[in-house]
Amino acid sequence: MTVRISELSVVGPAGVMVEPLSATVEPGATLALIGESGSGKTLTAKSLVGLLPRGFTATGAAEVGGVALPLAGGESAWRAIRGRTASLLLQDPFTSLSPVHRCGDQIAWTVEAATGSRLARSERDAVVEARLAEVKLPARAARAYPHQLSGGMRQRVAIAAALASDPQLLIADEPTTALDASNQAEILDLLRAVQVERRLSVILISHDLGVVRGRTDQVLVMREGHVVERGETASVLAAPSHPYTGALIEADPVVAAQSGTRLSPAQPVEGELVVRVMGLEKSFGTHRVLDDVSLDVSRGEILGIVGESGSGKSTLARCVAGLEHEDGGTISIDGVALAPGRASRTPDQMQIVFQDPYSSLNPMMSVGAILAEALRVAGRDASEVDGLLETVGLPAQFVRKRPAQLSGGQRQRVAIARALAPRPRLLICDESVSALDVSVQADILRLLAGLRDELGIAVMFISHDLAVVRMIADSVVVMWNGRVVERGECRDVLTAPTHEYTRLLVAAALRENTAPQIGRE
Amino acid sequence: MVAVRVLGVLGVLWVLSMVVFAMMYLAPGDLVKNLLGNRPSTPEAIAAVREQYRLDDSVVEQYLHWLGGVLTGDLGQSIRLQVPVIDAIGDRLPLTAALSALAFLIAVAVAVPLGVRSAVKAGGWLDRIGGALAVLGLSAPTFAVGLVLLYLFAYYVPIFPIYGGGDGGLDTLRHLVLPAVTLALGLGAIIVKLTRTAMLRELESDYVTFARARGLSPRVVNRLALRNAAIPIVTGASLVLTFLVGGTVLAETTFALPGLGTLLQDSVLFKDLPVVQSLTLFVAAVIAVIALLADVAYLLLDPRVRRQMGAAS
Amino acid sequence: MTQPLGASSLTTSPQPPALRGPSARRPRRRRPVLVALALLVLGIAFGAAAFGSLIFPDAMTQDILASQLPPGSPGHPLGTDELGRDVLQMSVAGARSALLGPVIVALGSMACGVVLGTLAGYQRGWIDFAVSRWTDLLLALPVLLAAIVVSGVFGGGYWVTVVLLIVLFSPSDIRIVRAGVLEQSARPYIEAAQMLSLSRWRVMFRHILPNVTSLVVTNAMLNVAFALVAFSSLSFLGVGVSPGIADWGRQLTDGRAIMFVNPAAVFMPALLIVVVAVAANLVGDWIGQRLSRVGEDVR
Repeated sequence: MTVRISELSVVGPAGVMVEPLSATVEPGATLALIGESGSGKTLTAKSLVGLLPRGFTATGAAEVGGVALPLAGGESAWRAIRGRTASLLLQDPFTSLSPVHRCGDQIAWTVEAATGSRLARSERDAVVEARLAEVKLPARAARAYPHQLSGGMRQRVAIAAALASDPQLLIADEPTTALDASNQAEILDLLRAVQVERRLSVILISHDLGVVRGRTDQVLVMREGHVVERGETASVLAAPSHPYTGALIEADPVVAAQSGTRLSPAQPVEGELVVRVMGLEKSFGTHRVLDDVSLDVSRGEILGIVGESGSGKSTLARCVAGLEHEDGGTISIDGVALAPGRASRTPDQMQIVFQDPYSSLNPMMSVGAILAEALRVAGRDASEVDGLLETVGLPAQFVRKRPAQLSGGQRQRVAIARALAPRPRLLICDESVSALDVSVQADILRLLAGLRDELGIAVMFISHDLAVVRMIADSVVVMWNGRVVERGECRDVLTAPTHEYTRLLVAAALRENTAPQIGRE
Repeated sequence: MVAVRVLGVLGVLWVLSMVVFAMMYLAPGDLVKNLLGNRPSTPEAIAAVREQYRLDDSVVEQYLHWLGGVLTGDLGQSIRLQVPVIDAIGDRLPLTAALSALAFLIAVAVAVPLGVRSAVKAGGWLDRIGGALAVLGLSAPTFAVGLVLLYLFAYYVPIFPIYGGGDGGLDTLRHLVLPAVTLALGLGAIIVKLTRTAMLRELESDYVTFARARGLSPRVVNRLALRNAAIPIVTGASLVLTFLVGGTVLAETTFALPGLGTLLQDSVLFKDLPVVQSLTLFVAAVIAVIALLADVAYLLLDPRVRRQMGAAS
Repeated sequence: MTQPLGASSLTTSPQPPALRGPSARRPRRRRPVLVALALLVLGIAFGAAAFGSLIFPDAMTQDILASQLPPGSPGHPLGTDELGRDVLQMSVAGARSALLGPVIVALGSMACGVVLGTLAGYQRGWIDFAVSRWTDLLLALPVLLAAIVVSGVFGGGYWVTVVLLIVLFSPSDIRIVRAGVLEQSARPYIEAAQMLSLSRWRVMFRHILPNVTSLVVTNAMLNVAFALVAFSSLSFLGVGVSPGIADWGRQLTDGRAIMFVNPAAVFMPALLIVVVAVAANLVGDWIGQRLSRVGEDVR
């Protein structure tokens, strides 16, 4: 049941998107496709199930266990292949299941599609229960609607649904990227266990080297449609031969966490105090989001704030910024207490850089207009725009561009430049690098560290990923359910976590599984 | 949540009832003369009118008296027809209801499948025809469509009768075909647009890609998408209703059908205030109730909202 | 620092456009020929509205022949109407009254929508509550029904109808603008503007409004079409345009009496209304697509 791909190429309206590519995947083995956005890895995956977007065509040949895939074929040719021969697992479990159908039904459809006959009610319940058991879910999950399950559980349902037709090849497209850190390793190890059990061939697509390490046998590194490196996963990661792979490994926060390297040396906190937060409280309705949160940030310090979604870290940032009104506690800047809300704050006190570089710039304004406006509120002249662009490493001709013409990393640089324009005392980065490719992420992190060194600015760096935070933060605060559960020097928190939740985050940062190991290895 | 919606609807109707009541006072001309119509203005007749509308009481009392009448089914006397308004409306209601129902059935039966096919084969010939029909249906005034059909199928090729409501049963149905088709074109245009947009959005969603990747047949996939698309389609029902009310008046006038639409038009032109008031209120109430039903259907269609409901109650 | 901040060997070029979202919702693409044709139709129609009285100055005051001629009669290519006036001349002369009202209605309702919708969507609070209840109330009334009742009972004429239709059309504009403003307000770029302590007026009209323009303009074009249909429907029912004015809707109403003698007396104005309304619809969709592409967010 070997999967053989030879000279597979994808052509789109803008030219060749994937250069001819060949690979072999043995039964029970996993091939990793690694690359950043634009590398062509997702198009490669979609071409193997005949789901390329309109205007894209695939050429070459591919076979799974002797069955040739109709790469250039139409819908009807593909229908016999999809499900039974090859199946695709998508990235986002929040959107890949129909919200108005029960999970059990969605699994049962795959079974019915593969067998070509409708199941009787009792038979159907038994089949669904068995499929759910395989992904370690209780039978009652069949009655649930997707919104009633957590992200990790939804992805398990999706895996059960994708495997319900017993395919020989499973293509998993970034299967854990949308999940919380503590769920990622669990899902990956589940996939691995199921795969070993079934002798299933898997093509795992990821941007995340930490995911690939230890869970895949072979790896293909792709860049802008080309395969730049291939080989045994362990040897490629240990000794990359192509400079791109090397740079990618160097930029990867998980690899860095595993090896202990940083982008900027940790500095002792000794500057004057800029921000003091004391006993902050905030509730949305009856739900308590912040519970007695206190912290200090000093001049020249990068304070990392780590927690998963729902931990209250973003609400904390928004309260400090004045975008959200706290219910109790005090926030003071340079010793002066601030009333809740924006009205009591000035632009030169703090600025914020948001997560999503695509929506944080006004699409109808040019880069120059955006920056000039920010300079004007601080009483600075619009002629300083060029200097501002230079500070964030962008050429002066960007003044005339609109946000839509920029890449994600470039947009985030513009957003940082805008935040720096009023010369703030505190810069708040709310998941500012989470939406970026690892290499771009490393660039932005380096930029932030450099700005701290040059301008002596205080930084609150908020992230869900401890691996990213430890690359630049001097000290760390760990939040869980609205409370600070751990704080201290970055190195100490990582090496000797005291709270159980921190231990979980550290394991997640290293992409280790904290749940009991299943399967081989 | 349903309780809040019901209260909201009652609030709207209450405000409307005041506006409608005020219509009597705001209408130009002398109130008593308006209410007398073309009856002779003898002192006795004037006294009778003043007595009937309690014109000697305060405005608040008059309103309460009138509202009490409306709530107990006493809508007053038609000036033009000299019969109780409730009878005038009751006589005309069945024809209008039949016309609306027929038009709605035709529109849904044609437009929903057309919208689905247009979305599934976006850019195909059926999509183009559907798109052209939708633009035409939205742009062509109902009466213009009616007149064209009338000219073609009642005069040029006399298959259908020119006007009137028929003698009941199959004859009435025959009289209703052209007006119903007229109305259905506009209705269908709205429904095609709603369905196509909703289906396109669903077909591009991840769960459809995932369903296709698992080998589900196109039939199952389309059913799955339509089930999800049903939510925005049903929510758009208010658009359809608004069109239907205006369209019925026009279609009935074009084909001289003795329904509520022509009753309204005649009453407006004759300034038969009691009938106009009652009809306005009646239509508003029907619309409010149907919009409420659409909201309830929305709750039933979407398990996410259903759960919030369960948590709230 | 030895190298510019953050620049590294890895800095990648912007993503190839082809990858950017074939999944992005693709509205039906209007063929350019069709759009050009629609623009031409609108040009001619508005030309007739502006200069029609110069071409046929005496359309309304022709000698009444008292004979109703069918289409193709000598000197009267489209025949004559119930008063013996030339249908072609009447159709040109009727453009002004038929188009002026709808355009004013669309513009007036757009103005209401922009002002009230922006205030309600951005300021929230009591102003949002008041505006939303007002639109709820008006939306519970079918436009045509309300227009018939009000202009029928209170008398009215052309300008009263215009004002009435502005009031009745505005709720949809208000809702569309409000929803657009609400959606934009939740985006980080608005919070970034708030972080700069910009005045609320600047945020509303400099930052948010340009991003909802495509919605507003598209809806205004569609409103021209709907208002054109509404005006002619009211004329058809005997309210709205008073007799004695050259107007397509009026022509239709009056021409019904002689529909079987000279069908052109009815179908010519009907055709004009439909063609102009279709053209306005097409152009509206096209403008909407073009404007939304200007600042198009890639995702």
